Amino acid sequence: MPTFRLLSFVIALLATASAWGASAVSEHQLKIVASNYPLAYFAERLAGSSATVTSPAPADADPAYWRPDAKAVGAMQKADLILLNGADYEKWLAHVTLPRLKRVDTSAGFRDRFIRIENAVVHSHGPAGQHSHEGIAFTTWLDFDQAAQQAEAVAKALIAKRPELKTTVLDALKTLQADLAGLDGELKRITAARPGLPLMASHPVYQYLARRYGLNLKSVHWEPGEMPPANEWTGLDKTLAQHPAKTMLWEGPPAAAVADKLSTKGIASVVFDPCANRPESGDFLVIMKRNIENLKASFQR
Amino acid sequence: MRHDFYLAWRYLRHHRMRTLILVLCLSLIAALPMGLHRVLDAGEYWMTRRAEATPLLVGARGSSVDLTLGALYFSEAGVPAIRMQEADRIAATGWADPLPIYARYRVQGRPLIGVTLDYFDFRGLVPAQGELPAILGDCILGADAAERLGLGPGDTLASSSGNAFDLAGTYPLKLHVSGVLAKAHSPDDHAVFVDLQTAWVIEGLGHGHAETQAAPTQPDSPFGAATVGRADAELLTYTEITPENLGSFHFHGDPATYPISAVIALPHDARSATLLRGRYLDDKSATEIVRPLDVTRGLLQNIFRVGALFDGILLLVGGIAFLLVALVFALSLRLRQREIETIYLLGCARLAVLRLLLAEILLIALFAGAVCTAVLAAAAPHASNLARHFILS
Repeated sequence: MPTFRLLSFVIALLATASAWGASAVSEHQLKIVASNYPLAYFAERLAGSSATVTSPAPADADPAYWRPDAKAVGAMQKADLILLNGADYEKWLAHVTLPRLKRVDTSAGFRDRFIRIENAVVHSHGPAGQHSHEGIAFTTWLDFDQAAQQAEAVAKALIAKRPELKTTVLDALKTLQADLAGLDGELKRITAARPGLPLMASHPVYQYLARRYGLNLKSVHWEPGEMPPANEWTGLDKTLAQHPAKTMLWEGPPAAAVADKLSTKGIASVVFDPCANRPESGDFLVIMKRNIENLKASFQR
Repeated sequence: MRHDFYLAWRYLRHHRMRTLILVLCLSLIAALPMGLHRVLDAGEYWMTRRAEATPLLVGARGSSVDLTLGALYFSEAGVPAIRMQEADRIAATGWADPLPIYARYRVQGRPLIGVTLDYFDFRGLVPAQGELPAILGDCILGADAAERLGLGPGDTLASSSGNAFDLAGTYPLKLHVSGVLAKAHSPDDHAVFVDLQTAWVIEGLGHGHAETQAAPTQPDSPFGAATVGRADAELLTYTEITPENLGSFHFHGDPATYPISAVIALPHDARSATLLRGRYLDDKSATEIVRPLDVTRGLLQNIFRVGALFDGILLLVGGIAFLLVALVFALSLRLRQREIETIYLLGCARLAVLRLLLAEILLIALFAGAVCTAVLAAAAPHASNLARHFILS
């Protein structure tokens, strides 16, 4: 009986110590806010359990056109690190008050290689209202070499904030960059098979993808869930006359009616999800691998 | 000896009013300079503490005193502006974190300070009411500023226009009070803080506008949309930032060229501080780096040189007061001639009379010393507050 009591006491002591240890770890967890999912994914991979990573934009909103309210800004102000995509992605940045020393512009390292968009069309989709893609192309992470540089910027910021995590973060960075290099190599290999193959994109968000992997890409301004008006189809026909594409890249699966109408023109709809927001299932790497697989079929056709 | 003190005590007790006046005079003569020194010491401590907490300061080349007083104590004498790229330049070295400050404007007599949110962390300023500024156009008030202006979270106040003769047309901006800072016992208590970007909107570098027909008009409101009568006419420039027009606010030009007053540089270590200071050795450079502690100490040395003169005057006054007390004693001895004669006739020696008088003087000095110590002890806890009120305010 005394042995049983002693054992119970030791178990209770260990349970208390482990609970205290867990609370101590959570107290020391870094609070990271990332302006889009790719950055949140990089931070999660690099910091592991040492950080809690959140994205302020709601799940149903495009982070590129979302605007934070005072409450969201207040939450961001309390973060230890605010990861920004840069390249004019966070258009709300000039309208809010955030600590500069906690902000990390992850694309600052390749600022001189940003793609400037001229004469963009003003259009609208969803509840976000009208917008245009004029300015700087911002889906920087679709060039996986740039994505690796952004991951490195995240790693540097993490190490500066928590030098004791240096070894863990650098090891994780090596693995992450290897994964991104894998995607980069695979895409280069696929696109090299048929260089200059004409492609269409439903939205002008693939500029960096096209530049890095030599895609011969032209864009329209179509939304996956909306049937484009007649003039858009006429415009497409005119474009196809000069640019005989057999594939259109979509950010999400297009409506069946749109896909069918495109297929009557001999155009296959291929999803290449930029993955700006957290996917319902899988993660950044899974989605990108799926994107590459989707694109592969077009180059093998 | 015991009898001498007993007789002296009885005598002083008998003439209690005269004794009280003498004790009070002597104790105050001693307490006044000592008390003043304590207040000055506290003032020096508070001034040095703020400078000590500010490792390095970068600003326009010129008077380092003006630069320090402007950036640390928000003095009314403005300092020449430098460009925002100076803060970027410091950050790019990787040796220090920059905290840009823009202290050009005043709002209802209070300094209006444009800072980044990091400034509040650096100075340990936290909101006692409300929140820190979140959206363009928000401001947060120092504790004293809020009290004097009678404002709190949810209230508004108008910034002063940059220049009444500005033909480019900048308008007062209606600032939204997001919160009030907890008392910090520093110049921050008297200031109104806005985000640097809001300060640039007040400067006229950023604005929001819409086409005339689309914008709401409030002709009777001093904060209604103001029509800009210039080359880009037919535009309405908003003078209040609201959730509806926030999206239309934008800045022109390169933010790196925007003005700031100074940059507080927070070096990561001593080596970084030395390396950073080395970057500003060029005399031809438009900017300079100063250690606010050195500047403040130099300034205080000058102040205390005046303090030494003050001490000399106090010493002279003390000497005169002492002579007056001696005179009072001498006159009192003359008045007590008959009493002294009686003591002598009773058989006491001349020395006994002298001992009696010395015992009286000693007792008075002891009482005065005790009162002086009590006065200083009672005033000591208030010295710091007095210094903050009279020296730092």
